[in-house]
Amino acid sequence: MKKLTIRRIVVAGVMSAIAIFFGATGLGYIPWFGGVSITIMVVPVVIATVLEGPVIGFIVGLIFGVTSLIQAAVAPKSPLDPLFVYPWLSILPRLFIGPVTWLVYASIKKITTAFGKTKEAVGLVLGAIAGSLTNTILVLGLLGIFYLGYTEWLTWPWIGSIVVSNGLPEAAAAAVFTLTVVSAWKGIEYGRKKSKLSDEIDDEE
Amino acid sequence: MKNFEFLHNITIGQYLPTGSAIHRLHPAVKMLAAGLLVAAIIISNDVSPICVSLLLSLIGIKLAKIPIRYALKGIRPAIPIIIFIAALQILFASQGESGRVFLETRIITITAGDFLIAAVTALRLVVLILIISLFTLCTDLKELTHGTEGLLKPLARIRFPVHELSMIITVTLRFLPILSDEAENLIKAQISRGADFGKGKMGLFKRVYRMLPLFVPLLILSLRRAESLALAMEARCYTGGKGRTRLVRFPFRKADIAGLIAACAAAGAIITINFSRLDNAIWVRFFT
Repeated sequence: MKKLTIRRIVVAGVMSAIAIFFGATGLGYIPWFGGVSITIMVVPVVIATVLEGPVIGFIVGLIFGVTSLIQAAVAPKSPLDPLFVYPWLSILPRLFIGPVTWLVYASIKKITTAFGKTKEAVGLVLGAIAGSLTNTILVLGLLGIFYLGYTEWLTWPWIGSIVVSNGLPEAAAAAVFTLTVVSAWKGIEYGRKKSKLSDEIDDEE
Repeated sequence: MKNFEFLHNITIGQYLPTGSAIHRLHPAVKMLAAGLLVAAIIISNDVSPICVSLLLSLIGIKLAKIPIRYALKGIRPAIPIIIFIAALQILFASQGESGRVFLETRIITITAGDFLIAAVTALRLVVLILIISLFTLCTDLKELTHGTEGLLKPLARIRFPVHELSMIITVTLRFLPILSDEAENLIKAQISRGADFGKGKMGLFKRVYRMLPLFVPLLILSLRRAESLALAMEARCYTGGKGRTRLVRFPFRKADIAGLIAACAAAGAIITINFSRLDNAIWVRFFT
């Protein structure tokens, strides 16, 4: 296990706080069709992993899971929330987000370095997508395995449709957020380098 | 974004210091007690154990000198969901149907047994909320981190990073109000610059694009604060958990042992009643 330096501890704490904050205030929910919202609470976990490693991602995922459990117990927002009181549904899947993200991110960095230029941005995007999909598939999968028929509409076809209609947009949103934040933080250049305003000035000349 | 004050929404913990005996218990004991009771309630499925647990939680609230009305306020936001779930149970649930049938169509079947199960489900949620509220009303943040560290300390033998984990939790809890202020400032600043956080229907990318001016600065500012915090900790010679002593200590007293025994007894009682046969037969005959 890598050393838990002060910096890692603090980043883990801050990212966990952001995950909790997004969950508690509703900022982490983007309204989507079908009544179910897209959640971006996975993004702090992914960012923590990418910046500080899989162990920190694991810890942030743990704290995210525990607080989602507490929130489901104390302030349920959807009919499925009472199920999230069970830790194997709320905590266990979230533990894997960090390690999976790290796996994808680190492998892509290694592969692209071996081939020449290190493509950090690609690693970020694919890592974020992997992390978000891990969350979606594990949570919905465990939901299906343990609680099929909890309500009338909790069936595999419904779960499958949620994975596609919710999980894929969630992964895309996570990728966008992760890429923008981490590249802004690390100062990586990607895409346009000039600001919109400088484009206008150039055009006028 | 109709209201800017996010801190009002974070009701994960509101500490009410009343100086009662329960408040003065060791935080690890409080956490264990809450955990045991919550586990006992989750396993329970019948009416009697839930009623007993409701009684016990009300007694606990009284013992903690918390006004009952204040504790019940925590249930209010959950009421719509509880009603919705109960309604779903009554209309659609196929397990536990027994007794007099009120309505039978192809999709919807309402029997007396359904009402019972709906009542159990609703009460169960209410008791869970009460117990967790009781826990947060009696435990402040400082105690929470001490309690977690105390509970996890046995794990330090297998080199589990107990101190680091409780430090992470401390930082997390400390940052919540900071984030709330920061987010409020950011939203106000962006809106005053004409940003549109958008309502109504629009595609995914547009929505994500609109959220970026809030999301990215919030995260970057938080990361910057994290760096300063780490630097500040290092400058104050924070070297981790080895040999670390504490300013505030929580001695383990006789009252704590008594509290622990009481919690175990309560949880045990709930579980035993749940698994004894006498329960459902009585209620079903009573209602049907």
